[in-house]
Amino acid sequence: MKAIIIDDERLARTELRKLLQDFPEIEVVDEASNADEAIQKIESHGPDLIFLDIQMPGRTGFEMLAELDQAPKVVFTTAYDEYALKAFEVNALDYLLKPVEPKRLADAVEKLRKANNNKNEERSSPVQNTHNLLSESDQVFVKDGERCWFVRLGEVRLFESVGNYAKVFFGSNKPLILKSLNALEERLDDKVFFRANRKHIVNLRMIEKVEPYFNGGLLLELKGGDKVEVSRRQTVKFKEMMSL
Amino acid sequence: MSIVIFYPYIFVMMSFKLSRYWLFQLIGWGLFALINIFFALAFNRFDAPVLLRIIFYIEVGIIFSHLMREFIHRKAILLKKLGQQIISFFILTIIFSFLVACVVSPYEEIYDLRFDMTGKKLSYFSLLFTNFISFFPLLLFWNAFYFMYHFIMKSRKHELDTIKLEALVRELELKTIKAHINPHFIFNALNGIRAMIDENPARARKAVTELSNILRSSLTLEKVETVTLEDELKIVKDYLALESMRFEKRLTVEFEIDIKTLSQQVPPMMLQILVENAIKHGISKQTKGGIVKIISDYNRSNHEIIVQNTGSLNGNKIDTGFGVSSTRDRLNLLYGDKAQFEVKQIEPALVEAKVVIPVTGN
Repeated sequence: MKAIIIDDERLARTELRKLLQDFPEIEVVDEASNADEAIQKIESHGPDLIFLDIQMPGRTGFEMLAELDQAPKVVFTTAYDEYALKAFEVNALDYLLKPVEPKRLADAVEKLRKANNNKNEERSSPVQNTHNLLSESDQVFVKDGERCWFVRLGEVRLFESVGNYAKVFFGSNKPLILKSLNALEERLDDKVFFRANRKHIVNLRMIEKVEPYFNGGLLLELKGGDKVEVSRRQTVKFKEMMSL
Repeated sequence: MSIVIFYPYIFVMMSFKLSRYWLFQLIGWGLFALINIFFALAFNRFDAPVLLRIIFYIEVGIIFSHLMREFIHRKAILLKKLGQQIISFFILTIIFSFLVACVVSPYEEIYDLRFDMTGKKLSYFSLLFTNFISFFPLLLFWNAFYFMYHFIMKSRKHELDTIKLEALVRELELKTIKAHINPHFIFNALNGIRAMIDENPARARKAVTELSNILRSSLTLEKVETVTLEDELKIVKDYLALESMRFEKRLTVEFEIDIKTLSQQVPPMMLQILVENAIKHGISKQTKGGIVKIISDYNRSNHEIIVQNTGSLNGNKIDTGFGVSSTRDRLNLLYGDKAQFEVKQIEPALVEAKVVIPVTGN
């Protein structure tokens, strides 16, 4: 697994690198000392995993993650921060306390190893490249007030545009992310995610019913009850895709 | 005469509620009336005129004692020193007894009420004097009671305030010790030291000593009231050495210490908290880091201790942080209002925390 260590203290990065030497399956490809550097390096290396210090100058770790199109697996690190710890516990996020205990690191790596095996089984081709379109097994980081999630794209039923934001429908949640629908459409695999109209992108696997609608359009009913109109132009595309 | 009877009731109605004062007044004077009636009955001299006369005296008593009380409040006699209060009360009693006598005597003169034991009519002057003598003990007793009531109330409040203050001091001391062991700093320092062990063993050893000094200083914080600036600076330098290890090039430290201030007494770990805040809110929030500058000098008859750091307050509530509030409380406890403490933005990217305390010794 390719990994990047993100921490503003050089000594902390050195220390973690040293500990990771015991885990040959994890290859540390780069380090970053602030959010800007981190985003740039994540986008160029496309790591599977990042170790992220939650207290950094400028933008916080959470803010940085929300900016990424696709979030890799994250293990948070902190020396001591009551608020961060609460956030980690409440949202079931993986974290390590500094100085890192080797046993805890081993547990975290084991967990990552298992998750990675599952992910590889799902994919048809194991080779990854960030410039590929995002598929269902990829995850995105979503924050809404105090709550945050790593959402597997496969679980998202619907994206709805709200001004400059997009509402993400998954489970019983509808948090907002700072991404336009157009930007999302570019990155998402169009075999799974379909732009139904100007305001909606639908997960095709979540469609339960298709009915004809006004003006030569269609009405889609999704799992969970949401109903989405398909514009006339997109209906043509839809029918082509479904070979109807 | 019937109009005069109604005056006290008007006063009561004007107070709107039956305050404790009026309760005491009515009970006190009521009792006085009852005693008089009792004695009149005992001596078989009780009849309608006597009753009316008693009521008249009561009304006069209430009116004038109330006027006396107004005077006491206007002149804030209760706030004066004990000795002055006693003298004032005596003088007041004399004056008001005289005033009462001046009111009552004409009434008695008009209604032909004063006769001595032999039935002979008294001269006006004797009348005046007799009334003065009669009312003087009455008003004196009234004043004594009023004075003692307020004295007792004040002592009780003072006791309560002292207890509250003592509890607050103890609570602060505990909070200072507990919260002063800053876990974030300590774990980060330990992590840095662990990394240093392979990279630069000598530096790692020195860092362990620095950390140990800081912990020891935190633990013995409550044992001494003040330390010399020189000793305090030793701890601050150890602290800054550890933080420099973490921040490396991102932290620059400058000292501008007037050597003559080194022997001054300062509260322990106060400068350290200010420097810690400077790093926590200033340096660690800047991607490029910044400068921390520590200044100590004399300013007129005061000792100024200043910590400046790169950064900005950003309208953050500085008063709610533990560092700021504990510093303020400690300065208040030690120096009262002779100390000043302020945190403000002195330049667009420079924050300053300034402590001014009176000069000790010299």
